[in-house]
Amino acid sequence: MAQFRLPANSVVKQGKTYAAPPGAKRSKKFVVYRYDPDSEANPRLDTFEVDLDDCGPMVLDALIKIKSEFDPTLAFRRSCREAICGSCAMNINGGNTIACTKKIEDTQGDAVKIYPLPHMSVIKDLVTDFTHFFAQYASVRPWLRTQTPPPPDRERLQSPAERAAFDDNERCILCACCSSSCPSYWWNSDRYLGPAILLLAHRFIADSRDEATGERLDELEDPYKLYRCHTIMNCTATCPKGINPAKAIGKIKELIAARHV
Amino acid sequence: MAPRPRPLSPHLQIYRLPLTVVLSISHRITGAFLVLGVLLLVALLVAAAAGPQAYAAVHGHVAAWYGQLILFLSTFVLFFHFCNGIRHLAWDAGYGYEYPTVNLTAYVALGATVVLTLLVWIVAITAWWGS
Repeated sequence: MAQFRLPANSVVKQGKTYAAPPGAKRSKKFVVYRYDPDSEANPRLDTFEVDLDDCGPMVLDALIKIKSEFDPTLAFRRSCREAICGSCAMNINGGNTIACTKKIEDTQGDAVKIYPLPHMSVIKDLVTDFTHFFAQYASVRPWLRTQTPPPPDRERLQSPAERAAFDDNERCILCACCSSSCPSYWWNSDRYLGPAILLLAHRFIADSRDEATGERLDELEDPYKLYRCHTIMNCTATCPKGINPAKAIGKIKELIAARHV
Repeated sequence: MAPRPRPLSPHLQIYRLPLTVVLSISHRITGAFLVLGVLLLVALLVAAAAGPQAYAAVHGHVAAWYGQLILFLSTFVLFFHFCNGIRHLAWDAGYGYEYPTVNLTAYVALGATVVLTLLVWIVAITAWWGS
């Protein structure tokens, strides 16, 4: 049964406020979720007033500035700062996205509210535990499965049209924005694979070189793994790469249905 | 000492839910209400089969303001579930997954629900007054 309220140890309290440096003309509040695993305290919301005249354009720039100038203990993942690594996925003003491509000027309201990805286990501050998510990814065995030996003189070839069948899936960076935006995944992530993993499962189902399509569909034909998707469409709305996981899941359902007629 | 359990990050508390989410959960809730509506329909039919006296007793409740209100809401719920169900049929057939199409069909389903509900009631009330 879905647990709609936060457990007692997860209820968020009010934290500290760090004022803007004197002389800042254009400051904006950043309200950031904090959790310190070394203390006994509950998570809290700290407010940082950042001088936008002295800050890069993206939300990630503001976080880096907060870490270097206000509080060096702030923990968040980041790497490429160009939407290819998927590390800085977080919840910004109520929607999941990657902080490196989210412009501060595009955020509405007088404060930017930053939380970790929803309904995940928090390790520290904005860093959440991806162990289960990656284990689910491994469970769909995301590599080419073949029976026939490869041609001796070349690789397994594919036409541009065959490649285009999974172009969209291929762009996924596994940031987990979609899966952690999905209410169905919130309540059933123990058994439901979630949009990201199903999108990537479909990547191999759609690949003309893969020879285990039937086997893959067998593995997914399960009331929980696949059919907890109710086309809520949060995944597609939130994907920072503009991919459509809901459509990929729909394709899998179609292929399974087609086997029964 | 056992390690402290990690907190769960906020979800429903902070997520800004788009229209598609509202319609999705409404579809489930209206589906559940329709089952209750079927019970009312069965009560009416059983009463009709049991004879004029039983029917008159049930009809008294149906014709009362609260009975009419329940009927009105049932009509609304039925049409909502029907119209939104067509969206689901389209999705199952592989159509309508793109933005902004999903939002467009959401508004169309909501609009059609209101129009169909009002239409049925205008026809019903006109027929009632005519008789």
